[in-house]
Amino acid sequence: MFQTSRMRAAALCALIGLLAPRVSASFQEGGDAPKEAEKAVDEKKKEEKEEWFALTNGDVFTGTGSLLRGMTVLARNGVITKIASEVDIPEGAKLLDAKGMRVYPGLVATSSSGLFGATSAELEDSVDPFSSRMVLGLASGITSSGMGSVAAKLKRGEIKGVVMRDKYLTTLAYSTNNPSSKRNLSEKFAATAKYLREFREYELKKASNKELKEPPKKGVDSALLSVLKGESLARFNADSREDLLGIARLAQQYGFRPVIDGCGEGWTVADELGRAGAFAVLTPRDRDDKSEALVRPGGSSIENAAILHSRGVQVAIIPSTKGVDLGGIAGRDIIHLPIEAGFAVRGGLPEAAAIAAITIVPARILGIDHRVGTIEVGKDCDLLVIDGDLMHYQSFVQYAVVDGKQVYDKEAELWFAHIRPRTTPSMAPETRVDPGEEVDPNAAPKTEEPKDGEKPAEGTPPEDKPADGETPPKEPPSDPPKEGGTPEPVGGGGQRAG
Amino acid sequence: MKTLNTLLLAAIPALASAAPAPDLFAIKVGKAETVSHGTIEHAVILIEDGKIVTIGQDLPIERGIRVLDLESWTVMPGLVNPYSRLGMDSRGGDEFNPQVSAFDDLYPSSDEYDRVLEAGYTTLGLYPAGRAVPGRACAVRPGPDTAEGMLLTRDAYLKIYFRSDARAKKMLRDAFAKVDDYVEKEKKAREKFDKDNAGKKTEEKKPDEKKPDEKAGTQEGGEKKDEKKDDKSKKVYVPPEPDEKVKPFLDIVNGKLNALVSIGQAADFLHLMDALGERKLSFDLRVPITREIDMYEVKKQIGERKCRILMEPEISMTPGTMRMRNLAQEFSAEGAKIVFLPRGDTIGAHKNALRNVGEIVAQGLSREVALRALTLEGAELMGIGARLGSLEKNKDANLVFLNGDPFEPGTKIMAVMLEGKVVFGEVQQ
Repeated sequence: MFQTSRMRAAALCALIGLLAPRVSASFQEGGDAPKEAEKAVDEKKKEEKEEWFALTNGDVFTGTGSLLRGMTVLARNGVITKIASEVDIPEGAKLLDAKGMRVYPGLVATSSSGLFGATSAELEDSVDPFSSRMVLGLASGITSSGMGSVAAKLKRGEIKGVVMRDKYLTTLAYSTNNPSSKRNLSEKFAATAKYLREFREYELKKASNKELKEPPKKGVDSALLSVLKGESLARFNADSREDLLGIARLAQQYGFRPVIDGCGEGWTVADELGRAGAFAVLTPRDRDDKSEALVRPGGSSIENAAILHSRGVQVAIIPSTKGVDLGGIAGRDIIHLPIEAGFAVRGGLPEAAAIAAITIVPARILGIDHRVGTIEVGKDCDLLVIDGDLMHYQSFVQYAVVDGKQVYDKEAELWFAHIRPRTTPSMAPETRVDPGEEVDPNAAPKTEEPKDGEKPAEGTPPEDKPADGETPPKEPPSDPPKEGGTPEPVGGGGQRAG
Repeated sequence: MKTLNTLLLAAIPALASAAPAPDLFAIKVGKAETVSHGTIEHAVILIEDGKIVTIGQDLPIERGIRVLDLESWTVMPGLVNPYSRLGMDSRGGDEFNPQVSAFDDLYPSSDEYDRVLEAGYTTLGLYPAGRAVPGRACAVRPGPDTAEGMLLTRDAYLKIYFRSDARAKKMLRDAFAKVDDYVEKEKKAREKFDKDNAGKKTEEKKPDEKKPDEKAGTQEGGEKKDEKKDDKSKKVYVPPEPDEKVKPFLDIVNGKLNALVSIGQAADFLHLMDALGERKLSFDLRVPITREIDMYEVKKQIGERKCRILMEPEISMTPGTMRMRNLAQEFSAEGAKIVFLPRGDTIGAHKNALRNVGEIVAQGLSREVALRALTLEGAELMGIGARLGSLEKNKDANLVFLNGDPFEPGTKIMAVMLEGKVVFGEVQQ
């Protein structure tokens, strides 16, 4: 009797083991399913109504390393379809002239609070898209943000499609001050890794050997399993050297990339963190004295970000206060994200890395880098039009565009309209010179290009594909002259060193 | 001319019979705000048994009819507050109880009902207290001493409290999903009935023939009779009875009952639309006006849906600024309909209502909209717009007499008439 029941239990275990990975696998697919649903919706929209948006005359800092001058960024239904100096803008497209301005990708905050209003656990069902905090977030350049367990978009006036990804981060506790939980975590990792090895072996041999049993799932943590499978990222909160070293070792031992919030003494173990492929989420202005009792280096300074970056750690920057703080000393809350990144530059971080630290790196941490974080064809049309350098204290976001819709105009909002008002009348759309009139007779063959076939026509097919941020920087500025007959001296886009 | 004829027709039989004289009298006022047909100068209103028989300008009045000469006064329809808890206990839960009726809470001897008449309010909509779906509101006339006497309608509207959260959205989705289930069930039942009936048609004669046989042959007890009754009832299709919690929502879907959704900010409206999905429902909105409310963000969508908006006559601010907004005017311009409520649910607020609405009119809202917002619009919300809310033929003679323009500061309510009876003030004869 006992034996049979035990066998049954074993069979049950095996069954659970069989099911569990599938569950997590399908869960992962669940993350992609909305994308497909969106595509379907997009196609529907295409049939019904195509919404075009074109930003013209922009000096575009793509976030992939290149600066493209005098570019037009064209988007259909919120997705960038073309970045070029000569673009046939479809009729009825919403236009935004960025002459004399810089264009950056929308910023991404790894976490925030309050930008979506007073929300409950289900962001999609409680977002307040009219919240003044959301306007302030857009005014500071933030277009996407982590919020609780989800990554969400600051879609002003809309509640559909706000959530981009759910539960991509798995928060884990690892602290030398709590040896038992530390040991516990190590054991869980060991058990889960062992299971994963066995399961993969089983998967390989299952076809040939049908009698093979599913490996037991005892001691396997489903959250860790998804981390080890690379389906989610493990997030730690650690500042001390010991903790950081421990996490780095754990990560190298089990082969996952940790996201480390804080990372105060990270610079002392930057090599280890770099080798572990860690992400650091830090606040450059966080300073910490070295503990006098210790001989080893410690504490934290403004150089932390630069040192970590130089050792290969992907640095994301976040201000010390995650909410919008309308009292106290200004400049330390979420709406000063670019200013905070500027402090990292002051500490030695290359400018491009600082921009990445508030765009593509946080997008990777949130698992939304396939949609936001850089200006590339195939990605969401989230753009900032700024009257100067992104991280300069004097710069203001003049326009913010989210999903191909202009959702913020500094002059139209009450917050900063009166500070250094936009003076140039060239910003007014009605005074914009339409280059199309001059171009048409000269470049007749060019206009015959099929609208959707722009990629082959331009001869840059691989670059136009949506990238995960790793593709080499593209150089469309060299393309327009090839097309011939460009009356405007636009081609001279320089490339910035990463 | 038509009015003249009716006046005479109405008057003559009354005089001729000279029997227990029906309550018939005429009122002459300097100005009548009819709400439905604009302003009438030197208006004459003929009232019989508490109903307006006719109204017109300078109508000749048959001799012998009692005339109230109030040439120095202005008259307007009795005010309607469709959203009140006057005289009721203010406790409420947080449950889904659409079957509850506020009428069961009514305590008719509360003196607040007498005092609210003094403020010119002759019709109240009493809503059930609570969040989620607390139940259905009833419409009453303050004055009579019994609950039944006060009642105008039990089903004025269904109150729904909605805020942006997953729970509220799920509640609404579930409620309408159950309606869909019922409709499906009802459809099947009907199909089955039709099928059975179609099958029976061929056999129909046989049971008919049998029946008399049975009757003649063996007269058995009640059981058989019951069966026969069943047979008969089967012939007339009786739809299955919906659940008491489903029925109010079914009525909403069928347009038999209005839905009044209470929301607090613009985002709530978007979430409400999201929860309703593709359903083409009409509903009205209760929007408490707070100082920095952002409802103007969705005024276009609200206007497109032609919602009624129940709001206080208040000027609000653009959030973060001191820029004033006249939301009533903004909504009205977009096509939404306004219902003005007193600024609070107290007698004092009811007494100030005309003055407060006057301030909004002074800020740019059209007079017509404002007058309608105080009277007919609220009555239509409660489904009793055909009975009261304006000065029209065949409507209840609920009248408010003022010593000047309703929206001028300093104007006072001189007298109030509820269904032809003076319930406040004195009317000289």
